[in-house]
Amino acid sequence: MSRIGSRLIGGALALALVTVGGCSSGESVDVDGAATQGGAGGVLTAAIGGEPDQLDPHRTSAYYSFEVLENVYDTLVEPDENLRMQPSLATKWTTSADQLTWTFTLRGGVRFSDGSPLTAEDVKYSYDRIVGEKLNAAYRFAAVKSVAAPDPTTVVVTLSAPTPNLLANLGGFKGVAIVEKSNVESGAIKTKPVGSGPFAVASYTSGDSVKLVRNDNYWNTKPKLDGVTFTFVKDPTVALQNLRGGEAQWTDNLPPQQVPALTDGGELTVQRKPSADYWYLALNQARKPYGDVNVRRAVAFALDPAAITKAAKFGLATVNQTAIPKGSSWYYEYAPYRHDPEQAKALLGQAGVSGLTMDLMVTSEYPETVSAAQVIAAQLKEVGITVKIRTLDFAQWLDEQGRGTFDAFMLGWLGNIDPDEFYYAQHHSGGAFNFQKYRNPAVDRLLDAARTQTDQGARKQAYDQAAKQIVDDASYIYLYNPDVVQGWSKKVTGYQARTDRAIRFRDVALTK
Amino acid sequence: MSAARDSQARRALSALRHDPPAVAGAVVLLALVVVGTAGRWLAPAGVNDVDVDQMLHPPSWAHPFGTDELGRDVLSRVLVAARVSLEVGVVSVGIALLVGAGIGLVAGYYRGWVDNVLMRGMDVLFAFPVLLLAVAIVAVLGPGLLTAMIAIGVVYTPIFARVTRAGVLSVREQVFVRAAVSIGASDLRIIRRHVLPNIAAPLIVQTSLSLAFAILSEAALSFLGLGIQPPAPAWGRMLFDGRGFVTEAWWLGFFPGAAIFLTVLAFNLVGDALRDVLDPRQLTLGEASRSTT
Amino acid sequence: MSRFVLRRLLQSAVVLLGVTLVVFLLLQLVPGDPVRVALGTRFDPQTYEALRTRAGLDRPLVAQYFSYVGRAVTGDLGVSFRSGQPVTRIVLERLPATLSLALTAVLIAVLVAFPLGVLAAVRSGSALDHAARVFSQFGVSVPDFWMGIMGILLFAGVLGWLPPSGYVPLTEDPAGWLAHVLLPAATVGLVTASILTRFIRSSVLEVLSADYVRTAEAKGLRTRVVVLRHVLRNALIPVITVVAVQLASLLGGVIVVEVLFAWPGIGRLTYDAVQARDYPVLQGAVLLVAALFLLMNLLVDILYARLDPRITAR
Repeated sequence: MSRIGSRLIGGALALALVTVGGCSSGESVDVDGAATQGGAGGVLTAAIGGEPDQLDPHRTSAYYSFEVLENVYDTLVEPDENLRMQPSLATKWTTSADQLTWTFTLRGGVRFSDGSPLTAEDVKYSYDRIVGEKLNAAYRFAAVKSVAAPDPTTVVVTLSAPTPNLLANLGGFKGVAIVEKSNVESGAIKTKPVGSGPFAVASYTSGDSVKLVRNDNYWNTKPKLDGVTFTFVKDPTVALQNLRGGEAQWTDNLPPQQVPALTDGGELTVQRKPSADYWYLALNQARKPYGDVNVRRAVAFALDPAAITKAAKFGLATVNQTAIPKGSSWYYEYAPYRHDPEQAKALLGQAGVSGLTMDLMVTSEYPETVSAAQVIAAQLKEVGITVKIRTLDFAQWLDEQGRGTFDAFMLGWLGNIDPDEFYYAQHHSGGAFNFQKYRNPAVDRLLDAARTQTDQGARKQAYDQAAKQIVDDASYIYLYNPDVVQGWSKKVTGYQARTDRAIRFRDVALTK
Repeated sequence: MSAARDSQARRALSALRHDPPAVAGAVVLLALVVVGTAGRWLAPAGVNDVDVDQMLHPPSWAHPFGTDELGRDVLSRVLVAARVSLEVGVVSVGIALLVGAGIGLVAGYYRGWVDNVLMRGMDVLFAFPVLLLAVAIVAVLGPGLLTAMIAIGVVYTPIFARVTRAGVLSVREQVFVRAAVSIGASDLRIIRRHVLPNIAAPLIVQTSLSLAFAILSEAALSFLGLGIQPPAPAWGRMLFDGRGFVTEAWWLGFFPGAAIFLTVLAFNLVGDALRDVLDPRQLTLGEASRSTT
Repeated sequence: MSRFVLRRLLQSAVVLLGVTLVVFLLLQLVPGDPVRVALGTRFDPQTYEALRTRAGLDRPLVAQYFSYVGRAVTGDLGVSFRSGQPVTRIVLERLPATLSLALTAVLIAVLVAFPLGVLAAVRSGSALDHAARVFSQFGVSVPDFWMGIMGILLFAGVLGWLPPSGYVPLTEDPAGWLAHVLLPAATVGLVTASILTRFIRSSVLEVLSADYVRTAEAKGLRTRVVVLRHVLRNALIPVITVVAVQLASLLGGVIVVEVLFAWPGIGRLTYDAVQARDYPVLQGAVLLVAALFLLMNLLVDILYARLDPRITAR
């Protein structure tokens, strides 16, 4: 399985965005001819919650990096606000009858921000780099046999098996961006990447900010903003104060407990949208007694997800006992668990388990896991399970996750849309991220079959069955789908929060 | 010798009694010790009694210090956390005192290359800002209670070594020590009978002041999320966790911070008073170690 | 160069060597494989091998140490595990922010402590003296992060006068820099001011009680004149050294305040490096800070020796 080599996605924090799917959306953005009044120029300051680790789109796995890179790079195709793939660098594409050859026609005259032309060779170079160096997004090219550039505006992708999701794989997020060879080879891409997107990186001050300026070579409608400055503001209270004080005009790092009041008040624009992310508790099935399904189900019955959600997200989330959120066309309504300590105790009794001590691993990188863990500990205590919470920094957390030295952990997956991304790597016995060591041959069969199933109805049915089995087996104990919450100043026009958390400033204007 | 010590102690006590700030400090310390040992029973609620329906409630009769972001009783957590602060303070300063005084004693008593090697080693540790060194040690050993104790202990070791060495050097040249040496008394005996009693005063003062800084350092480490890990309550950690809520829940920031302040202040007041009485030559290196940043 | 200066130089060099050893050992003492831990799941064999080789972890310990020191001398502190950038560059980038914060904090501290300390000494026992004592006791006992939070609440939250955090380079926008630096500098400066006030007070008191001052007073000079002419000049020498030592320790980066105010200095860098387990950056930052501290102390001692020739005699 090609996925096994792929290490995308900080352990569990996938930024594997998007396939064609029907997440609910906000109003559409007025892209064309949106030369709205007055707003020419200005630099927008966006306060983001942390710092990129580096700016090479093929190598980073940090969401903070992609918040910046979304505005710097282009992909062949890109998701619109309904997460349907639309032309970007490629204007059109054709598929051979056997579904194994895709031919993309590139937009003519596209230039990188340094002025050099972007051609089919650059596309080939980018894809070969991802595959050849086994970079984060390599798993998206699992079925790609070769990429060819017969002429400067034609890219031919040859596949080993039909891949209905190829567009999403090639355009879902900026981890598959088209990069410039000289920029890569000089090593400058880590701090000063050169892309063809609406903005170009002007400077990167570690610990403080990344400054973007308008890319005057941009092929599409030129951005109205002169530039965008991303400042790193870890503390949500400070981010809000920056927004109120005019230090920043946009943030996705609002204090959650204040969001309801902010959404009502008129001073800022705050948007909440359901996301495709989910957070879960995983029990290590390779360790006793968690290999026993009754023990895992007991834990599921002992938990009160509503209380956990309240502690972790202040209600800015939807409780869900399956992975895929309600808005998705892949949603499968199934909720067999309820907060029932008696049932939990009975199940523990059946399993012959008493006086259990559970080592629960959480990370300070995601404080909501630390908060939630304390609620989980309190709830499990009621059924006689003593929880020992270990709060680790993320590097160590990932290391221990990989080595399997835990009884339980809590984390989330971000931005998955296609059910294959939701289930395969996490629950297939050969899945790259199956750290909880779940093994159910029936589920394996369903996931393998659904992966290549071209009939959408049959595919949905297979995934529904798999989802039900995964929930019944409590491979993951799903907790909630958090909301995308972003706020911006009333001076900002033309911005919309997106369910895939892509942050796009190209159509934004600042009024005086 | 022992008579001299008794009179010194009596003098110190009577001087302290007439120093109102020191009395206040001592009273607070006494209260702290009581809370530290009995906090668990004094606390009106369990420290980890999570109740999400009670989150972020302002101070009231039911919760005099309010509730935190998980609906836990802040008063209970502040009371129980006193123990952690005192424990870390006492253990880390204990480490620093034992190791530091040992090094200083050997260096000052034997002089020569031993002195040189040991004190240059202490100079090396002294070359790092206090908190930076503590953070670096935590980075290596991983955050936690034990690590915090070790890190802070290491950081304050050189101070004790220097104070002890200075004391030993001044004692060593005094007539009674030379006399003891001349009659062939063993090193151990001389150190125990003559040197230690005479350097006790600056060490006592240094210990008291260092406790203040150690508690401040532990709070700083916890505030950075590098000290005691949840769910165990610690004052610095409570500020760290409450930081996102202070604008609408001032009690989350105020009470744990005030607890740290009062504790540190109490140790400082008592330490300063002790210094005025016991160590008029100011051998103690108080000021040099004040900065915890 | 006097023998004193030479001796201090030699001593500092030895200590610096010791510092490199401690810094070097930081990486060695990490339980498990530090490169593996730092990479997390960004792990891939090529990067792993490259970083290990670059950090020299594949060679014997003693050889590693000497090559570390050798490269450090030429300004090569290795590359970051996280971003692959040279550590020297990363660390030096943070220096201006820390410098500007430290200098402002010391300036604030001196402006507060000097008049307060001198007046408290001159009017020893007065209400002002008591106030000065309360102030300095408060300053050394209050946790700086708590003061910082309260400051943010008051000046950025309630009053809205100052930005709650962030940084603007002095060279880009002096007014913006000033607005941003005030709160963190005042927070740091308060602690420094408390230490200085105590010291200035006792230093001035000591000189006031010296024989020649009493003689001058006996000659009928008015108190104020005495203070200005004789006392300050003599009390100043030790005060300068204490200010310099304080500055030296602040240059090490004030971790807590830099983290609280999102100030991109050495302290924040250290903190971020710890969080990311980026050991080369941590080592580089710690080494630089310690070297700076030693250098400052060396300069202070030499300066002190010049101002007060008695020192060299010791």
